[in-house]
Amino acid sequence: MKKHGFVYEFKKNKALFFMVAPTVLLVLVMSYLPMSGLVLAFKNYRFDLGVFGSEWNGLENFRYLFQSGAGWLITRNTILYNLLNLITSQGLAIVVAVIISELTGRIFKKITQSVIFLPYFISWVIVGTFVFNIFNYETGVLNNIITAFGGEKVNVYSMPGVWPWIICIFNAWKWVGYNSIIYIAAITSIDAECYEAADIDGANVFQKIWYITFPSIRPTIITMLLLQVGRILRGDFEMFYQIVGNNGQLYDATDVIDTYVFRSLLTNSNFGMTAAATFYQSVLCFIIIMVVNQIVKKVEADYALF
Amino acid sequence: MKRFERFAALLLASAMLMSVFAGCGDKTDGSSSGKASQASKGETTSSSKAADPASADTGETDTSKEVELSMYVVSDRPAKQDDIDANFNKLFKEKLNCTLKVNWIGWAEYPNKYPLLFSSGEKFDMAYTATWLNYAALAQKGAFKSLDEIWPQYAPKNFERQSEAALQQATVDGHYYCIPTLLATYSAFGPIYRTDILEGTDWDGKMENLADYEAYLGYVKEAAPEMEPYEVYQAGSGVDDVWMQEQGFYAPKSANFLWFDPNEESPKLMAWYEYDKTPEFLQMMKRWNDNGYFTKSALSDTDSQKFKGGKAASRVHNIDSYSGEYIEHPEWGIKYANFVKDVSNLPFTQDALVISNTSENPERALMLYELITSDEDAFNAFFYGIEGTSYEFVDDQVKALNSDDYGFSACWAARTTEFTKDSYGAPPDLKEQKAGFDKYIEEKNGEGSQKYQGFNINTSNIETEYAAVQNVIQQYWQPLELAYVDIESGLKDYQAKMEAAGIEKVREELQKQLDEYAASMK
Repeated sequence: MKKHGFVYEFKKNKALFFMVAPTVLLVLVMSYLPMSGLVLAFKNYRFDLGVFGSEWNGLENFRYLFQSGAGWLITRNTILYNLLNLITSQGLAIVVAVIISELTGRIFKKITQSVIFLPYFISWVIVGTFVFNIFNYETGVLNNIITAFGGEKVNVYSMPGVWPWIICIFNAWKWVGYNSIIYIAAITSIDAECYEAADIDGANVFQKIWYITFPSIRPTIITMLLLQVGRILRGDFEMFYQIVGNNGQLYDATDVIDTYVFRSLLTNSNFGMTAAATFYQSVLCFIIIMVVNQIVKKVEADYALF
Repeated sequence: MKRFERFAALLLASAMLMSVFAGCGDKTDGSSSGKASQASKGETTSSSKAADPASADTGETDTSKEVELSMYVVSDRPAKQDDIDANFNKLFKEKLNCTLKVNWIGWAEYPNKYPLLFSSGEKFDMAYTATWLNYAALAQKGAFKSLDEIWPQYAPKNFERQSEAALQQATVDGHYYCIPTLLATYSAFGPIYRTDILEGTDWDGKMENLADYEAYLGYVKEAAPEMEPYEVYQAGSGVDDVWMQEQGFYAPKSANFLWFDPNEESPKLMAWYEYDKTPEFLQMMKRWNDNGYFTKSALSDTDSQKFKGGKAASRVHNIDSYSGEYIEHPEWGIKYANFVKDVSNLPFTQDALVISNTSENPERALMLYELITSDEDAFNAFFYGIEGTSYEFVDDQVKALNSDDYGFSACWAARTTEFTKDSYGAPPDLKEQKAGFDKYIEEKNGEGSQKYQGFNINTSNIETEYAAVQNVIQQYWQPLELAYVDIESGLKDYQAKMEAAGIEKVREELQKQLDEYAASMK
């Protein structure tokens, strides 16, 4: 096939280019233009000199991330949390989507879906209050239940080990409804003839799910995973901040890059250091996305993002 | 191909779903920035950049051109603030041919929004600032306009009334960057405590030191077991500072992990783990924790209103909070004791006003501020609002009216000792306590902690280490000071982490700055 130049393409598909223009513009303005701000990561920022006038200071801004070895710990925590949350919330979302699409009562189905979706609208601030009211030592629900059965009170706030699970549970609870919508959409678009054929062949519900539903939504699952992987180094700041708060005892188990940066820089508003942390996250994200995408491409070229 | 289509459709669907929600979230941001740009629109019209120097010398500046000035303050905007704005603008228009637009940054958004004010390039004239808004760090990074020349020229009365200490405190890197408040405040800190719950017990009412306070807490635990004797929440406990200050120590602002004795000739900075009495303090906190004098989940507790709400019997704070709590609940028999041995005036930069780098009318802004801080009518209209609607004076005290709709100004820096009145219903011993502090401060004559209130640390050479140290304090000191961890190994841990974070470099730098400061004060 003969390759045509850009001018030829443009003339031929004017309307298409016109249609894509707003999107291109939006991406340029919202995503590419701000990238120039990344130079801040290598500068000693002063308000009167501005972003581009400030002096360069090499890698100085990155040093605090790794001072006293915190950089490794928080990077590890961020990745592990996101992996855990990715697997649990997406896994649950798929299960919920399959169950909801198997339900037959229309009203019951809608109500179930709404109830599961509801936590999405509850802000983390409120969730943080829930968590505190469940786990606080003196008046918490958990300790009330334990003492009612004659047990010893437990101080959950001094047990860092359980917090990854607490956070994981709340994260799944909050996101599962939202994530499941996309899977429900995917399941709805599966050709009904497949199920009818399976019915005639005498397949039971589980066999239908296993042999028809899952294979059909596989592209969706992979796309969702890829999209989520892109965020793997961005801890959900609100969630960690509201659930864990100022509790230093839990930091070894719960600190992620975002909370660490927030805490260290709150008192001296240093834009350079903040930019350095963002830069670090972005570079790692980029590497991870490229690697995962390459793997997907090797296994099943059709499903890769690019 | 079909598969690809489905995939593309899905991608599109998910993108749409996300953008719908992203749109919801963005709405508030968009409208608030719209408001901000609206605010700046008004002043771009003016251009009285070069006020004629000749006329300025005679104290007359050309005010023939009407300007709209703008000011940022940090607080939540009262519902009917528009009425108050219109009221004081009538006065300002008449006297100085200018109007003032006050923009409020809410409590929920100020940590992020406030520093961005100065980096966004938005045009505005004045902003409230304070030590807790990182005045010194922002000034060092060039966020504000230098006032060396225009302050004495356009706000001479204000400039003259500033004390030497205040001028010293306003100086950063050799320049004035802010106008400190003219209202004296005190470093007094100690328990604000209810006495009504202990009526009928054999408590002797003595409250002179932390030992007395501990006894009080014990009585409360017995008399009102459903109450938290001492309010501690997420922000941590203030008792560590009180304990050091009770013994006459002092810590520089924003560095209360390094203490020194302000009465020494050449004071040396000292970390918690180097002080031989620190284990005593930790033992005390352990007792309080074991006895349940405060909650075991304090660091995750976001409720800062436990005392106000009647869930806690006492809190440790400053004398202004005492006044506020007392007015709210006169029936609780609230009392206050100051445990800071070497009490001094807080830096006057505790509340201050800055002129923005982007201001187009700095001289007009200063003239307006001069008016507010030297003309009682202007002050009352600006700070208290409309007489009979938002406030009234009763027995030389100020009473807030219709407080659901109206509030006093959040530009606390504009307060002066002459114009500011005690709130209506303030505790009867307030004046007496303050007079006591004044007397002590006068006797000290600028020695002791007063000498160091103007000392601002400069972290620009140690930003990395300083940030790391801040982090260690939160992670290791806060649980330790509440005795949530084993105190012996906890203290060792704290020391090890502080050293890894670079405390020695921080100390070296701050010690150098402290020595220079002490030398300059001689």
